[in-house]
Formats: sequence, structure tokens, C-alpha cells
Amino acid sequence: MTAPGDGVTHPQPGLVLAVRELTVGYNGAHALEGVTLDVYEGERVAVVGPNGAGKSTLLKALVGMLRPQAGTIHRAKSAEIGFVAQRASVDWSFPVTVYDAVLMGRIGKMGWLRWQRPRDREIARRSLAEVGMLDLADTQIGELSGGQQQRVFVARALAQEANVLLMDEPFAGVDAPSQEAILAILDDLRRRRVTVLLSTHDLNLAVDRFDRLALLNRRLIGYGPPRQLINPEILAEAYGGKALWRGDDYAMVMGDIGCCDAEGHVHE
Amino acid sequence: MSELWAIIEQPLHYPFMLRGLLASVMVGTLCAVVGSFVVLRGMAFFGDALAHAILPGVAVAYLLGANLFWGALAMALLTAVGIGYLSRRGQVKEDTAIGVIFAACFALGVALLSTVRSYTVDLTHILFGNVLGVSGQDVWLTAALGGIILVAVVLLYKELLVISFDTVLAATLHLPLVLLNYLLLILIALTVVVSLQTVGVALMVAMLVTPAATAYLLTRRLWQMMIVGAAVGAASSVIGLYLSFYVNIASGAAVVLVCTGFFILAFLFSPSRGVLASRMRRRGRS
Repeated sequence: MTAPGDGVTHPQPGLVLAVRELTVGYNGAHALEGVTLDVYEGERVAVVGPNGAGKSTLLKALVGMLRPQAGTIHRAKSAEIGFVAQRASVDWSFPVTVYDAVLMGRIGKMGWLRWQRPRDREIARRSLAEVGMLDLADTQIGELSGGQQQRVFVARALAQEANVLLMDEPFAGVDAPSQEAILAILDDLRRRRVTVLLSTHDLNLAVDRFDRLALLNRRLIGYGPPRQLINPEILAEAYGGKALWRGDDYAMVMGDIGCCDAEGHVHE
Repeated sequence: MSELWAIIEQPLHYPFMLRGLLASVMVGTLCAVVGSFVVLRGMAFFGDALAHAILPGVAVAYLLGANLFWGALAMALLTAVGIGYLSRRGQVKEDTAIGVIFAACFALGVALLSTVRSYTVDLTHILFGNVLGVSGQDVWLTAALGGIILVAVVLLYKELLVISFDTVLAATLHLPLVLLNYLLLILIALTVVVSLQTVGVALMVAMLVTPAATAYLLTRRLWQMMIVGAAVGAASSVIGLYLSFYVNIASGAAVVLVCTGFFILAFLFSPSRGVLASRMRRRGRS
């Protein structure tokens, strides 16, 4: 939205997001500096790094909620970006049903001073069905479990007809079956060429289930396919002494920074 | 049966009672619809402050012999935009900004009114409303402005819902967040002005908050909350006015007390969010 070079055409086919030397921050302080990365259509990218590394900041900048202080973000003209924020950003006691929440995704398509049309209702119901939540359409959103709430917000992004989905910590405080349900939905989205970028604390999950990792700690430490990217040196650079390398596998030791991941994945 | 009818019908012979009923039913409805946003966004203090802050506008209009309505309207819009601006600047916290502005305005209003000899009577009417002194012209003005506010809420329902529920989505969809927030402040300001004569400055916040809060406890969708809240507001207005007629108590206070009664009932007995229901659920689980 704010990138100075929005009019520039991108020669590479399938390039959805092109970030160049991006610096973002709050009140003058930089939360993220000099980030450069390309995201291609249908890719599944995990943004990982310690607390305060700027994961949320990157996602918010990509969706256009934060203005770049320096650098540019090019979004492909065809990119319709949906954002699933951290669950804490929403008042769950709000009088809104699951169906209402998903229908909100249609607002951009409905236009000003317009009410929902049959097509909007149909898309909302179809989106709910795709995440397996149609049965709970009339439930007030506060009555859902954490995993179900995430799925509702994914359905809302689908109703928005998003082909680029950004998710901020979707697995935080979610039980294992719900996590698998969300991952199954992501597999489904991959078949439909929907690009997914999500932030997570779970490095193991990121390595196993994603095409690319973006390893952040206030700047981009590394970006690439997980198996090529991950090595003891680069982990040490991102996490300080708090990530442990164990031969073929690795474990995260969060130490004093703590982790919001219910599963923990904290060893020792 | 005929006795009951006589009780209902007798006050309707008085034109002032009829006008008062009409005006307060409209105000009760309107306050609940707009008040739904006040309740959901935690703006009760803002609503209360806005009601108090219009006092200097009313005082100036009164001193000049103009219609109080226009003085109140000018002051309400000025305050709403002023508070919106100050809290956006972020140098002081929003509730501090509201506190400073509202107390200053209220003091200015009292100072202006105190220059008049009939000071206490006039101040009482402005503070607590004078629904039985509503003129035919006032009823029309209430209907016209109330209609405009309701139409605005209906037309912008989905946008106002999103900016109240999820500002992140509003930003993702590139909705003009600042503009819509100001618009909502202005709608609340207009509602306060329209309701001034019926409930008065001091009890205004009750009309904005209590029927909507009652409805919040009973419903799970915003539009349902608005409709139930409007019903509670309108019913409270009618029952309150009859109470005031027969028991001879101040009308504004009677309406607010009836409203509060409805709220307490919902708070205790709401099937979804009531105290008893959640107690039973807890017992059922253990």
C-alpha cells in the first residue's frame, strides 16, 4: 500500500511478495531492519525467531498495517492478502456468531452502503465448510476452543478470497489435534495455490512442515528451505545460546525468554 | 380489566404526557441502538463526559434566548471531535483527556448559568431532564434527528461492526478507520443531544449503557442486541413515565430505575450470560 515503487512491474512469474531492505518500527525504534525476501505463489513460509524478534512486525508490515520506515514491499497485483491475527487481538465476548465473523471477510467485496447478497452468504458458508466449522455457524465465538477460533479466522480469510494468507502465531495455546486440523487446512490451501506465511515458536514444526524458513532476530538471519538453512551456527546467531543443536535434530531451550507454546517443545 | 385500562388510558388525556411518552420512547430506542457501540467499545465514560460537556452550549443558547438544542448540538460535536483528536495525539491517555475536557466544560456551563437568577430551576431541568415539558416541535426534532441517526447506523452497520470488533480486519480491508471512528463519535454526540431534554445531562449515560448492557446479556449477535436493547429502552421509558405520573417521582429518574431493574433481572437470569446460569453450569460440570 505504501511502497513507493507500487507501479513497478515484476518480471518473475509467480512472485507474490518482494520485500527489499525493509525497516519497520514503533515510535522511532526499529523492530526490524533491512529485511529482504521473496515469496512465490503457493509457497508455505514459516517465520521463526525468539520473542521480540519482529515476527509479528514483519507480518503486520506485509499486510499494510505498519508503514515501512525504509525499504519497499511489492505486492503482486493479483495478491489478495488475508490476515489471521493473534487470538488476543480480538474481544471474544463480542456478540458475534461464527457465521457473522466469517461474513465480515466479505465486506471488502460488498462495498459501501451495501448489504450482504446471496452470493456473500453462500461464500461465507462454503468457507466455513472448508475448515470444518459449518456445524458451529450459529455459535457465539467466545464459546469455541482456541483451535476452532483459529479455524474461523482462516475461514474469514477464505471468504475474503485471499490468496495470500498471513497468520500470526496460529498454534499458540492450541491443542495438538487442533494444530493438526489447521495444518490439514494448510495442505488443502497449498493445493489451491494459496501462499501462506505464518509465525511460530515451534522450530521443529517449521522445519518439518514448511517449504521455507525466515529466521528472524531483529533482522533476517537466514531465508531458505529448512534443511539447507538450519545449522548450529545460524541457530546460535538467531537464538543466542538458547537453541541447542543435537546432531541430526535440534531442540529449543528458551531459558529466560519463555514461550507461549502450550506444547512447550522445551527440552532440558 | 377495565380498571387496568383506566390506569393506562388516564394519563393519555394530557397532551404533555402524550408528547413525553412519544419523545421518551424514541429516545429509549435510539439510545439503545447507539449505546450498543458504547457498551461494546467500553465508551461509557466518553458518553457520560459528552453529556456533561454540552452544558456551556446549552447555557449560551439559554442566555441568548435561542433554542437550547442548537447550542447543545454545536458543543457536542465540538467535544466529540476534540476528545477524538486529543486521544489520537497520544500525549495523555484517553480517559485523562476526557476527564480534563469534560470537567472544564461542565464548570464553564455552571459558571455561565449561575449568572441567571433562576439558576437552580434551570440547572435542575438541564441536569435531570424535563420530559413533561417537551413541546410538539421538540417531538418532531427528536423524530427527524433520531431517524437520521438510525439510518446512518443501518447503512454503516457492517463497517461499524468491524471497527468495533476487529480493528486488525478493518486495517486489512483498508477501511478508513479514523474517519469511521470520528463518525461513530459524532453519532453518539447527536444521540446525546437528541436525548437531552428527556433524560438530562446527569442520567444520560444510563440510557446509553443500561438498555444495551441488558441486551448484551441476552443476545449473541449485534443486531439482536440493538433490537432487544431498543425494546428494553422503550419499555423502560413507558413504565417509568407511568410510575412518575402515579407515584409522583421525577420522570428521568423513574425511567433509569426501571431500566436498571431490567438489567438486574438479565444479570441474574440470562440463560447464556446470567449469574444463575453460569452457577448451574459450574455445578453441572463438577
